[in-house]
Amino acid sequence: KNISDFSLNITDCTQIVVPEEVFFTVAAAGILENLLILIAVVKNKNLHLPMYFFICSLAISDMLGSLYKTLENIFIILCNMGYLTRHGDFEKKLDDAMDSIFILSLLGSIFSLLAIAADRYITIFYALRYHNIMTLRRALVILAIIWAFCAGSSIAIALFSYEAATVIPFTILFPLMMFFILCLYVHMFLLARSHAKKIASLPSSTVHHRTNMKGAITLTIFLGVFLCCWAPFVLHILLARFCPHNPYCACYMSIFHVNGTLIMCNAIINPMIFAFRSPELRSTFKKMFYCSR
Amino acid sequence: MSALRLISNRTSQQALSNSDYTWDYEYYEYGPVSFEGLKAHKYSIVIGFWVGLAVFVIFMFFVLTLLTKTGAPHQDNAELSEKKFRMNSFVADFGRPLESERVFSHQMAEESQSLFHFCINEVDHMNKEKETQKGPSLESNTHFQDVAKSSGMFEEDIHCLTKFNIPNFVNTEQNSSLGEDDLLISEPPIILENKLVMQSSHRILD
Repeated sequence: KNISDFSLNITDCTQIVVPEEVFFTVAAAGILENLLILIAVVKNKNLHLPMYFFICSLAISDMLGSLYKTLENIFIILCNMGYLTRHGDFEKKLDDAMDSIFILSLLGSIFSLLAIAADRYITIFYALRYHNIMTLRRALVILAIIWAFCAGSSIAIALFSYEAATVIPFTILFPLMMFFILCLYVHMFLLARSHAKKIASLPSSTVHHRTNMKGAITLTIFLGVFLCCWAPFVLHILLARFCPHNPYCACYMSIFHVNGTLIMCNAIINPMIFAFRSPELRSTFKKMFYCSR
Repeated sequence: MSALRLISNRTSQQALSNSDYTWDYEYYEYGPVSFEGLKAHKYSIVIGFWVGLAVFVIFMFFVLTLLTKTGAPHQDNAELSEKKFRMNSFVADFGRPLESERVFSHQMAEESQSLFHFCINEVDHMNKEKETQKGPSLESNTHFQDVAKSSGMFEEDIHCLTKFNIPNFVNTEQNSSLGEDDLLISEPPIILENKLVMQSSHRILD
């Protein structure tokens, strides 16, 4: 590249750097929280249910994402301190491995959310046959398939990352999954609403719009959090692929580290909206903390 | 993140920005990006993206809220005893304890992990407390317990459910005529199925 005609304008979009303390704090919080969930589900026999296994899968993928960021930061610090070179072969392999961890985390997150939504869907619409449809063994098999697929895809994407073709399915997958999850939840929501309607038509029944509103809020939170945390990064990938030299795109790409932090925030928020809504899990936590005192 | 090299051109060896996060291959091969002659604000994509995202989420919220308009509400609060009376009559009719009777009480809020298990436990508690002679427990009860133990419902405050847990047993024979029948699986016992589905759906979304 001819750099001689490069002009560093004062109005340049410089990289917005997130302080390392913030990075490490957010990453550590994400890892700890998800680790707690895993421990709680393993310890409590009552929680050995398909639903909690899917939540565990989500916790694992969130943990991987935060772990990736932490490792990356550590390695960059080591690089800056001179312990590692920047262009060595070993570093390249390490870099590849860490990229595949990140993609694994992203894919695992998406598929876990899909599995949770599908599990809830079956619970509602196939309520009486749920026990036969979603046995523990089947749930584990589903999880194994999901993670094998994600691992294979992540390695393939990391290895063939230089092809243009890998970016496009990657970015198509994201909105497709989101749309599918949205459809599942909206269908469940419509059923709840129709039941509420039925009840409202009964004489002297109380209708509480507040609880209906709560359903809408819950759904919005589910999908809004996922969207707000992952979409910036996906857009980044798209822009970096298609218009890296456009100044507007470059300015968007300068906030990359904020996008990365958002993904780690997702790792912190996901347990709150999925795992901690279960009283059984909450009581397991309480027992864990009180026993440790 | 260094995965960005998968997209960027790796030929340049110069780090253009003073970013600390330069990994072995440079992240952002921004290259010679000229910022002169920009018509719009340079962060326009950023602003546009976030505004668009916020609008979309709010729009989704309003669409979902609109879906919750359930028609003419009855504002008077029903008497709990009145409900219980109706339910006791259902008990007499069906010879089986009604799970929903207990959901109106708040003390069961910290029961076990699943909605169905919850309901069945409530029934058990009710049985122990009241020591009334219930009808023979149908095998569907044990079936529900199996479902309950393994389904793992989504627990919420029970008092949210009390708003919805007025059993529509009266509508049993009319269920097939209702629009959402295609959403439900017609399986024995049909009577409680709608109720379970209804409870679980409200569980999840509340």
